[in-house]
Amino acid sequence: MAGNADVRRTVMFPSFLFVTLLVALSNAPVGDAIWLNLPSTGTKCVSEEIQNNVVVLADYVVVPEDHGHIPAISVKVTSPYGNNLHHMENVTHGQFAFTTQEAGNYLACFWSESHTQGGGEASVNIDWKTGIAAKDWESVARKEKIEGVELELRKLEGAVEAIHENLLYLKSREAEMRTVSETTNGRVAWFSMMSLGICIAVSGLQVWYLKRFFQKKKLI
Amino acid sequence: MKRWGKMWALMGLLLLNWVSNVSSLSVTVNDVECVYEYVLFEGDTVSGNFVVVDHDIFWSSDHPGIDFTVTSPGGNTVHNLRGTSGDKFEFKAPQSGMYKFCFHNPYSTPETVSFYIHVGHIPTENNLAKDEHLDPINVKIAELREALETVTAEQKYLKARDARHRHTNESTRKRVIGYTVGEYIVLALVSALQVLYIRSLFSKSVAYNRV
Repeated sequence: MAGNADVRRTVMFPSFLFVTLLVALSNAPVGDAIWLNLPSTGTKCVSEEIQNNVVVLADYVVVPEDHGHIPAISVKVTSPYGNNLHHMENVTHGQFAFTTQEAGNYLACFWSESHTQGGGEASVNIDWKTGIAAKDWESVARKEKIEGVELELRKLEGAVEAIHENLLYLKSREAEMRTVSETTNGRVAWFSMMSLGICIAVSGLQVWYLKRFFQKKKLI
Repeated sequence: MKRWGKMWALMGLLLLNWVSNVSSLSVTVNDVECVYEYVLFEGDTVSGNFVVVDHDIFWSSDHPGIDFTVTSPGGNTVHNLRGTSGDKFEFKAPQSGMYKFCFHNPYSTPETVSFYIHVGHIPTENNLAKDEHLDPINVKIAELREALETVTAEQKYLKARDARHRHTNESTRKRVIGYTVGEYIVLALVSALQVLYIRSLFSKSVAYNRV
């Protein structure tokens, strides 16, 4: 699917657009920026398993091709229970934000709408931030009137808190999994014993039934 | 030319505190899936990890693995891992530009890969214009941030591994219940069939001195 042509084509951005993009992104809080190549047919999906009550902020921009034409894409974001969180057709950029109501796998699917440009692959820049990365530091800086080094240290403090929360989450997950493992362990022992019991019971029943049958037939 | 120089300096300042970071995203790899990430400065450390989360191995206990390749903007392969079901990687970017991270699945079953890529930059003298000074505190803050990022990356790796372990556990649990109940039913059925067969051997339609 992806060959050297993809790398060459995606590297050749018009520089002014790139600079604007960079400036725009640099004013955004610390987050993500991955590029995906959308084929002309078919869907590309990215998913993430997110806990409950987490802020998700995402930005997507379609990068124009060499000849200035911007291909249009469609986006669909679904929650783990199938609820539609964001659905846009035929756009070149957009953003969505939501707070997760349920823990599970959140899916964001992209597909290209430019069917006429046969063979052209749209490059989408996806800026996906969850949790601490989605925090709006600008408003915190304005509200508490801090800036520069103090703001940076405040960001680091936020990152440390996020690390602590993640650790607690991992710990609770491990506890859940340990419960499941121990239940399965107990079940294996129980079911194996029961299997032996059923085997003996069934063969006993067989022998008893056949004995009764032959006695009725006056063969024994 | 001077205007461009000032623009790059301005960008450099703006980006001094911007570290490219990716959430732990998952993609389904059918054959080849490529993700691109832009590296701003040459010499930046690109680190990350990936774990194959959703796989359905039936008999064997070991996952056959997927291949992971990182290509630099110049077309060279910077990093290459074959047949792994998850690993961490780190390399120093030889040039700035768009890097391609590709997952290749040599088998027909689609796999879900959870990955995390982080481009870390520590400001050095080279990134600023000649008339700007490098504040040592900014360097220290950047180093601290990078250290915290390694911890976060490790946590994301653990989370992905935990998700994979959970899949295996769930699968084991289902198999234990499913196969045991199936075993009981088949056992009961087989013995009933045995009895029926022996009965039919003694039925009136077949002369029983033939038995």
